[in-house]
Amino acid sequence: MNALYLIAIGLGTAFLLGLLNEQRRDLAYTLTLGALTMMSAISASWLVVFVATGAGAVDIFTAGTRPPFAINLRMGLTEATLTLLINLTGLFAAIHMGEVLLAKGRRAMAVLLIAIMALCGIVLTRDIFNLFVFFELIVIATGGLVLLSDDEHAVSAGFKYLIVSQFISILLLIGIIFGYHATGTLNIDGMAAIGAGGFALAFFLIFIAIVAELKPFPANGWALDIYESAHPGFSAVFSAATGSAALFALDKILAIGGPAWYPVATAIGIVTFVGANLLALPQTNDRRLLGYSSIAQTGLILTVIGQQDILGNQYLFIAGGLLFAHAVAKAGLFWLSDFVAQRELTAWASLKERPLLVFAFVTFAAMLSGLPPFPGFYAKWELVHALAAADRLALLGWILFGALVEAGYLFRWFGYLIKRESDEKVACTAPQVIPVAAAVLAGWALGFVWGDLSGRSNLLLVLPLLFALGFLLIEWAPAWAKNLLAIGGLSFYLLQTWQDYDPLRLIFLVIFTLGGAIIFLASFHAHGRRIGFYPSAMLMFAGLVLLIQATDSFGFFAAWELLTVGSYFLILRGKESEPHALSYIVFSLGGAFLILTAFALANAVSPAPTFEIAALATLAQPVAPWVFLLLALGFMTKTAAIGLHIWLPGAHAEAETDVSPMVSGILLKAGLYGLFVLLMSMGRQSLYGVDLVNMLLWIGALTALLGNLMAIFQEDAKRLLAYSSIGQMGYALFGLALMNHLGWLMALMFVINHYVYKSMLFLSVGGVAKRTGTRAMYRMGGLITLMPLSFIATLIGIIAMSGVPPLSGFGGRWIFYNAIMDAETRLPMVLIFLSGPIAFLYLFRLIHTIFLGQLKDEHRRIKEAPASIVLPQMIYVAILMGVALFPGLILRRVDAYISQFLPDGALNWDGLTITSQYGWWNPVAIMIVVACIFLLIFGWLLFVNRKAQKVKQFNIVFSAERPYRPETTHFAWNFFAPYKKAMGFLVQPFVTRFWGAVTDLLHTAGDLGRRLYNGNGQIYAFHFLAFVVVVFAFKAGL
Amino acid sequence: MDFDWMKIPYAFLTVFIVVNYGFLMGALIQKIGARAGRRHGIPIWQYYLDVIKNYGLRSSITHGVMFYLGPVFRLSGGVGLLLFMPVIYGSYMFSNFSFAGDLILALYFVFFGTLGMALGAGESGHPHAAIGVTRGLQQVSMAELPFAMAVFSVALQYQTLSMTDIVAAQQGGLANWTLFTNPIAVAAAMLAFLGSMMRPPFDVFIAPQEIPIGPPTEYHSSYLALMQTNRAIFPVAKIVIYMNLFFGGAGSWPELFVKVFFLYLFSAFVGVCFPRFRVEQSVRFFLVWGVPLGILSIMVV
Repeated sequence: MNALYLIAIGLGTAFLLGLLNEQRRDLAYTLTLGALTMMSAISASWLVVFVATGAGAVDIFTAGTRPPFAINLRMGLTEATLTLLINLTGLFAAIHMGEVLLAKGRRAMAVLLIAIMALCGIVLTRDIFNLFVFFELIVIATGGLVLLSDDEHAVSAGFKYLIVSQFISILLLIGIIFGYHATGTLNIDGMAAIGAGGFALAFFLIFIAIVAELKPFPANGWALDIYESAHPGFSAVFSAATGSAALFALDKILAIGGPAWYPVATAIGIVTFVGANLLALPQTNDRRLLGYSSIAQTGLILTVIGQQDILGNQYLFIAGGLLFAHAVAKAGLFWLSDFVAQRELTAWASLKERPLLVFAFVTFAAMLSGLPPFPGFYAKWELVHALAAADRLALLGWILFGALVEAGYLFRWFGYLIKRESDEKVACTAPQVIPVAAAVLAGWALGFVWGDLSGRSNLLLVLPLLFALGFLLIEWAPAWAKNLLAIGGLSFYLLQTWQDYDPLRLIFLVIFTLGGAIIFLASFHAHGRRIGFYPSAMLMFAGLVLLIQATDSFGFFAAWELLTVGSYFLILRGKESEPHALSYIVFSLGGAFLILTAFALANAVSPAPTFEIAALATLAQPVAPWVFLLLALGFMTKTAAIGLHIWLPGAHAEAETDVSPMVSGILLKAGLYGLFVLLMSMGRQSLYGVDLVNMLLWIGALTALLGNLMAIFQEDAKRLLAYSSIGQMGYALFGLALMNHLGWLMALMFVINHYVYKSMLFLSVGGVAKRTGTRAMYRMGGLITLMPLSFIATLIGIIAMSGVPPLSGFGGRWIFYNAIMDAETRLPMVLIFLSGPIAFLYLFRLIHTIFLGQLKDEHRRIKEAPASIVLPQMIYVAILMGVALFPGLILRRVDAYISQFLPDGALNWDGLTITSQYGWWNPVAIMIVVACIFLLIFGWLLFVNRKAQKVKQFNIVFSAERPYRPETTHFAWNFFAPYKKAMGFLVQPFVTRFWGAVTDLLHTAGDLGRRLYNGNGQIYAFHFLAFVVVVFAFKAGL
Repeated sequence: MDFDWMKIPYAFLTVFIVVNYGFLMGALIQKIGARAGRRHGIPIWQYYLDVIKNYGLRSSITHGVMFYLGPVFRLSGGVGLLLFMPVIYGSYMFSNFSFAGDLILALYFVFFGTLGMALGAGESGHPHAAIGVTRGLQQVSMAELPFAMAVFSVALQYQTLSMTDIVAAQQGGLANWTLFTNPIAVAAAMLAFLGSMMRPPFDVFIAPQEIPIGPPTEYHSSYLALMQTNRAIFPVAKIVIYMNLFFGGAGSWPELFVKVFFLYLFSAFVGVCFPRFRVEQSVRFFLVWGVPLGILSIMVV
């Protein structure tokens, strides 16, 4: 159907509405919906034709003559897609605002139709004056639609908008007049053929006017009020459709200006993106925040438009991906905001009663943050690669910084939604929900399309991810059924794929799958449906197995993001975990961006459509060390190396009982896996004469020391374990960075051991916390007789972790000593030597203050932890014993595998004795000797002391009194006070203060920016004027 | 080196010799300490009397399983440590069970008894037990550091983790002892030695002259006897490590008796000369004096 009908139907129906009786509102509304449906159908039919046939753009001539004597419209693939977006946004906005439109009558509907029609016109027209006309229509229609709102600020907002818009219109008109004077044509293509060289100032006016329509930072105060005060149904149009049309208009007129104007567009774009995101950071009003975010996203797309010279045929893919992700998500969020009664961000907590609405929010937030599998993710990937290839690294840095800030406030908001309390009820009708549902569907569909177009693996066709997403569809099922399915899925995956991997990857895979399945046994304790848990957990596991599976950088990065997002949702489930989950996601995404940049840099120097991970080995100076550094930093955010660790204690401690072992025992290994891959492929690198591997060695040692040291001062059992994980990861990092055979073997042993004993301890402590209702160790005590199995698990766990023979931890220490004999540097060992005994301190504290000492009155009736939580612990005990006796079962294969990379220093596994170049170790003999001695002495004691009777709790004498209150007798609080006096200076929260200062700085910057927007229309006009002057100066090269 | 059934009787013999030697030497040292304080001191056979008496007492008290097992862990730790080491250099039979592991096994097995004891005492519910354990752990965590570094230094020096090889390398004269070939490491290790021998100035965690603090508080009768037996074995076993690493090892039992005695006397000597440190003071002491020496020993070796 002729594209002109888009204009004709919109305009015609608007006029027709004017002829209707004011009382026939239903009819008017039906007509409006019909018109918008028709318009959408026309766009859709064009889109189908272009996609199916691959045909080129079609010009539509009006007035029966060709340009420049008449106006022409152009319908191509881009135009069809954009008009479809605009019309659908209009249609769903009309559905969403049904009640309001019916209440306001046909005039309101006519204005909406005019707005949508004009937006289509902006997209279609190739005539610059016609463009001006459509923009004028938009201004008028927008002014009218803003007044639909009941918000008290709407009138003043609309008025300010009109003032500044007129200002803009004047500039545009003057620009057009002089442009016409210079070129003799109003046709955009005609002007483009001539070029803007002859009328640079006039073009500047046109350019700046269209840019102003994008509401660039900081000249956008007038537009922000619209977002805040207009009806959200319309704000969605304003954000999604108007923004898209204006961006396309700018793209069109840049054809006139040519590449000389690209840097200007880029500069405005990036300043807007970063500035608006910073300003959004301190916002507490939801719609205003969405307004800032809209402006930021528009800025990002403007940046992409400015970079089209380097994007080549990826330009539309990238710009489109970002644009659609933004438009769909933002429209969806605006519509969602209508269901929330209050305008505070925290008021969104009322949505949490409706899982489907939460899912909608998650979809939109993930789309905006550029997370997989949505279009923004693919676009971000290509954009970053193109920028790196063109060596535009500063711009790349700013884009990623802005994106991180944006993800920060979006996920903070999501945290409010999930964790805050709200008394309000969600009030929504079916017509209001339909647009939201449509946006969600569109989001996922676009994800599929972009995955398909990307030429890379379409994430929505990847089985593990589909399996995880499948859990969304069976959320109605009881938790135990889903749990069975999860365990089955993980085990099945392992059975199906284990033969495909080398021993090293296989170990990680077994921990990720079988390890996950064992922890899932503990999840049987949960009753009900446990909504949200399984999709999140399985998303994390999908990411983990995909990480092992990945051979190219894209697959690796996508897996990394998936596991990050999944684990974030998991962590957020904890009762008090809101701030910790936020800091986790911000650090993780920051780390992910570093990884992304590293891959992009690597791909830039060895161009290939897909960059194989193995090709990291081929990188040379000068880029190799930078890639190494960025990747190492990225992975170290996941292993919580010191300085990047502050997210971990809260995230692991506040998580649910079965989530803590997942994120500690399993998830941390993803970072170690990354480091393994990095060091195996890139080896030693040095930057400005600094040996980077040596730096990792120091970081590892320091992390081990400080992690352990912080652990001993914790009063919270789970926090203690969390800090201990930091220390343990430090050990593993240290082992890797030794860059010798045994160092790697030791790191791998830590991977296995840490999974087993940390999962076991977290479950054990989690079970205790569940029964006692507290995690503070000083409030527990004497639980050994009431929870004997948990005690045994903890006992075995701490013996294994401390490295005392005969359990498996000793193997790790033995390999460590052999490894450092070969090391090139010696000083970092000092830190490791110190951290070893410190581990004893916190381990003793853990077991003593919980299980030994005095039982509290309120705990006298508690029972052993639920069987489902105890069962996996007992499995771990068995595994620990097995690994302790026969470490060779696993390690000898890995030992052989590592020999491919580092042939020197392999162990000899003949017989039961494991021999190195320096010493030997026979686990079975140790076990037998220790057991014999122990049993002999035990037997002797039983013989001489066979009548021993157990006495009651207070049968002790303490300061010449017999105590009667456990609280005053249980020595547990501030357990290592002298150590704090002596070594406390090492655990001052410098790092926390540093990151606190960084976030404060960002918030303060955002707050300062808000002072610009004082609500005064004249000031806003002045902003705009200043903006024009600054841009002019920038263009003129001042 | 490998297992041999005949090693089992020899292991018993080793333990028997060391227990008797430990009783006598302990009493002698205590007597020397008393004389330095112008007191008469205990009879030389006092430890035998104590142990026999305590084994003879019939206890009827336990606070629970871990309490019961605590002294078992403790003594197993001492005996195990002794038997995992080649006690007499060049003797096949008195190398005992050292085929099970090298120097590292000995270093880590030291903690086996400590850990078990700490847990057992903890179950008594007596706060003094826990206070004593925490004080001991805190002090030892820093006191062990110079020793660990000295061990690393010595292992680097001789390029082996085998205690027998380290002793072998020191044969052929006094000048070959690590004491003279690597004096800095020995100096660091001897500071650590002071910290681990439960004598002043580093004995606040047992604090025998003040309120009785620490695991022995709640133990009595045969439990205490097991611990006393261990008090005879464990210091000797520990000193054997020092002797092997730094002082040329021992080729025969008399040589071992002499070397162990003088090493033990060293800690007693320092003990009678200096007053007691609080825990944080001893932690700082080792941090300021022991650790730099240890670092130096690693760097210069």
